[in-house]
Amino acid sequence: MDELVKLVRSYRLTNGLTDRAQFAEAIFRVIEPELTLFVFKAVRPPFADDVVQEVLKAIVTSLGSFSGATGKELWAWCYRIARNKINDQYRAQANDRLQPMAPEDLWGLVDSSAETAPLATGERLDLEYAMKLLADSKPECGEYLWKHYVLGLDYGEVAEEQNVNYDAARMKIGRCLEEVRKLIA
Amino acid sequence: MPPEQTNAEAALTKLGQRVRAGWAKQHPISERSLETVRSTVRQVWEQEQKVKHTRTPAPKPPSKGKGKGQGFEPEV
Repeated sequence: MDELVKLVRSYRLTNGLTDRAQFAEAIFRVIEPELTLFVFKAVRPPFADDVVQEVLKAIVTSLGSFSGATGKELWAWCYRIARNKINDQYRAQANDRLQPMAPEDLWGLVDSSAETAPLATGERLDLEYAMKLLADSKPECGEYLWKHYVLGLDYGEVAEEQNVNYDAARMKIGRCLEEVRKLIA
Repeated sequence: MPPEQTNAEAALTKLGQRVRAGWAKQHPISERSLETVRSTVRQVWEQEQKVKHTRTPAPKPPSKGKGKGQGFEPEV
């Protein structure tokens, strides 16, 4: 079983406050950074940190009722909560369109990740290619590709995000990828 | 799916893994977030204790001059 799901299960089965707080801390040390990335790409910076806090409260409050069995389900559940919070409470502050991250910022993140797991031979070329795919996509397509490949949302989650059905999201991502790939070939 | 498409997907997937890992490294959980988590855990726990407390029937006080010396009403 996924380590994260084990922690959630332990959290749910623990009665003591101290132990429960420790499990919660271990869980959120893993999920908070990715949720932050998700929120910071959707909400303007001055409001983003407040949104993150609201998301964390909502997740902790409902954690006892999470009934999924896999890490994938847990992530989908967390993203759903984050999405609802953004939509319900911060619509006015939400960006109309996701702002693309500048290549130098992306490289900064890649370099940080390389401190733990150095880049394999040829990986830099693949990453350059991926960044070019994102940069040369039309804005709408760039948003779909970012959510699916960079944030790691599956088709169902992208569909919820974009308010379309599963097949429409899957086909849109496929078409966007094909289009930009041909464009830079 | 053509192999070029697969390469593009693989490259984007790899970029996603790197970006998320790099973000997590650059932005570890903040003290504010940790405090939010701790205080919400405490609130949820206190709420549960209250509910437990109201569900557990309190022992009835000993009755005076009734029954046969046990001092408690029989459970119905």
